[in-house]
Amino acid sequence: MTRRRVGLFLTEEEKFDVIIVGAGPAGSACAYILAREGKSVLVIERGDTPGAKNVTGGRLYTYALELLDQGLHEEAALERKVIREQIMMLSGDRAITIDYHDPSFNEEGRPPMSYTILRGVFDEWLAGKAEEMGAMVACGIRVDELIERDGRIVGVVAGEDEMYADVVIAADGVNSFMAQRAGLIEDIKAETVAVGIKEVIELPAKTIEERFNLREGQGAARLILGCTEGIHGGGFLYTNKDSISLGCVFMPEEAGQKKKSVHEIFQDVKMHPSIYPLIEGGETIEYGAHLVSEAGFRGIPKKLFREGFLMVGDAAGFVINTGYSIRGIDLAIVSGIAAARAVIGAEGTAAAGPLYMEELKKIKLLPTMQAQDGFSDILETAWLYDKVPDLAADVFENLFTVTGEVPGSVKKDVMRLIRSNDLSAWQFIKLGFKGMRAL
Amino acid sequence: MSKVVACYKWVADEADLRIDADLSVDFSRVKGKISDYDKNAIAEAVNIATAWGEKAVGLTFGTAKAKQSVKDALSRGLEEGYWINADEAADADGAAVAKALAAVIQRIDDVGLVVCAEGASDTFARQVPSRIGAVLDWPVVTSVMKIEIAGNGLMTVRRLDDCMQTVKVQLPAVIAVLPEINTPPIPGLKAVMAAAKKPVHEFKGGDLGINFTPKTKAVEFKGYVMARKNVIFKEGEAADKVRELAAALRKEGVL
Ligand SMILES: Cc1cc2nc3c(=O)[nH]c(=O)nc-3n(C[C@H](O)[C@H](O)[C@H](O)COP(=O)(O)OP(=O)(O)OC[C@H]3O[C@@H](n4cnc5c(N)ncnc54)[C@H](O)[C@@H]3O)c2cc1C
Repeated sequence: MTRRRVGLFLTEEEKFDVIIVGAGPAGSACAYILAREGKSVLVIERGDTPGAKNVTGGRLYTYALELLDQGLHEEAALERKVIREQIMMLSGDRAITIDYHDPSFNEEGRPPMSYTILRGVFDEWLAGKAEEMGAMVACGIRVDELIERDGRIVGVVAGEDEMYADVVIAADGVNSFMAQRAGLIEDIKAETVAVGIKEVIELPAKTIEERFNLREGQGAARLILGCTEGIHGGGFLYTNKDSISLGCVFMPEEAGQKKKSVHEIFQDVKMHPSIYPLIEGGETIEYGAHLVSEAGFRGIPKKLFREGFLMVGDAAGFVINTGYSIRGIDLAIVSGIAAARAVIGAEGTAAAGPLYMEELKKIKLLPTMQAQDGFSDILETAWLYDKVPDLAADVFENLFTVTGEVPGSVKKDVMRLIRSNDLSAWQFIKLGFKGMRAL
Repeated sequence: MSKVVACYKWVADEADLRIDADLSVDFSRVKGKISDYDKNAIAEAVNIATAWGEKAVGLTFGTAKAKQSVKDALSRGLEEGYWINADEAADADGAAVAKALAAVIQRIDDVGLVVCAEGASDTFARQVPSRIGAVLDWPVVTSVMKIEIAGNGLMTVRRLDDCMQTVKVQLPAVIAVLPEINTPPIPGLKAVMAAAKKPVHEFKGGDLGINFTPKTKAVEFKGYVMARKNVIFKEGEAADKVRELAAALRKEGVL
């Protein structure tokens, strides 16, 4: 066999067009497009299988898969299509649940708007699709270092092996080690990330459908406020085929100052009289914890590329947390597509970076994140996490209490409740103002 | 010298097994893996082949699911992968497995040595190596913790209950190794990449002309729960508690 020598005097086996670090949604989506368009791609994943240890809430917006390839959602490893959007507020042992059902989200003839997913299954499927397109996926291997030559990133080091590529793409998730090594981000700052913990609780499909008022294949997505003992954060609940994903997200700094550990707070959430009946009888089959970027648009690093190096997905800070939904998986996929398009379209490695920024705008990722930037201000409002759920529950208590006594004026009662919850009308005006800006 | 064949089994990863309240075993979330002990067998086969300047190849008998194992096996230094695809593998007994493996070993040119693990990490029935030897009419050495090349043969050390036996064996032979024989290296990036390009040969169970009907059959799988004595020593000082604990353990015959 004669080995063709390419670039840098390497054999063909040692040099790829693109090396992608991480087989999460960002890395696999990027590999899928690159391989489909004929590039030689190596994806390196440290888990024994893609998604083996990945933690997420569990909802994927379908448009991202459609961008990858039309109709892909029909064969994707998905759990249930979300037909119920729910927001739950907890105050002590009380609970308010808002349930929004909008048939237009799931009209015939169009892909349903979103699905619940389990990452172990989904990531493995997506990486498999990239392999089908011709990408090479090497699992069980951690990338330890980047190789730099004349100011350019030209490859990676994994254990004793070096591997070279025209472009290295960091798809290694939040707090990206690759981006740190490339000098594009610093070590993580506590106020820009939250800690998410999550359990997958197994229950028969029928039981889930009964408890959440769903039909076969239909799912519910729920965000929970007032379950974090006043810490910035919230809970989430997603119904999978035969399990429920239940978790909480906390700002670590504040959590550190509380007497209770986040695990204890999470246990209390599970035992809440309005949550426990949903998971009763289920068995926890998976437990995980992971960081999630909280800073939104302003958390995106100043530079997302160097010559021979691009950052995608969580590594680039692409997460939107609005308080009523978390989006990261779809943005990971979309940014992977943008990076692939940039690499394919660029002439020379120096052109890929600037082109990537263009593609991120064209694919509407950066504009979307910018538009939702104001939510970071709202979510900074400390009293959102305890007093608002308390007040809402007080108002409902007032509305629904009938004892035979003469009821007071609703308006006066509400004002009294606002005051007794240590809130002022001024705070609401300020929040309303931030809200207007955010929307 | 001639080729070395490492036999391995694609087993359920016991970490994913769940035992339900009624003691039934739930396999629904189980992923597969190469039996842990077989990783030692593969590593030893590669070591010997390297010393001989020869090729080590992998061989497995399993259902269609076992196909996933080949890439992993090849990333561990084997040069070629042979796998037998048979639905019957799901409930084959040791005799059927050995017949299938031996049939393919006979089809591979110039095999000098077959390396197996002493047992598989799922059933640990310890049937297959000896039975392969019986089908091929080759000598078999089991419980091997050390192998050295000795002229045209091999010098092996067997671990017995409380002593060691050194056995010289002529080739071709079948050897069953214990886990302590080596520490299998974790495949690196280049090894994993190279595996994707190595030749893989598939055999269909039906083409081997073997009667797979098992003569032993797993009738039931049931979880096993150890009955606990639930004795708690809470009276007195720490020293007293330890003394009581030690006395109780001695009574149980554990100390
Ligand atoms: C609790 C929680 C709930 C969430 N809920 C949602 C939700 O409901 N919907 C949503 O859209 N998003 C949600 N997110 C966000 C979402 O999970 C992430 O945005 C998304 O996973 C980002 O994908 P990624 O591919 O960029 O990174 P990741 O999914 O983190 O993948 C990175 C991959 O790189 C690998 N890797 C890392 N370092 C190396 C290395 N050195 N060498 C080799 N491989 C390496 C990792 O093993 C991993 O497989 C949630 C996040 C959390 C923590």
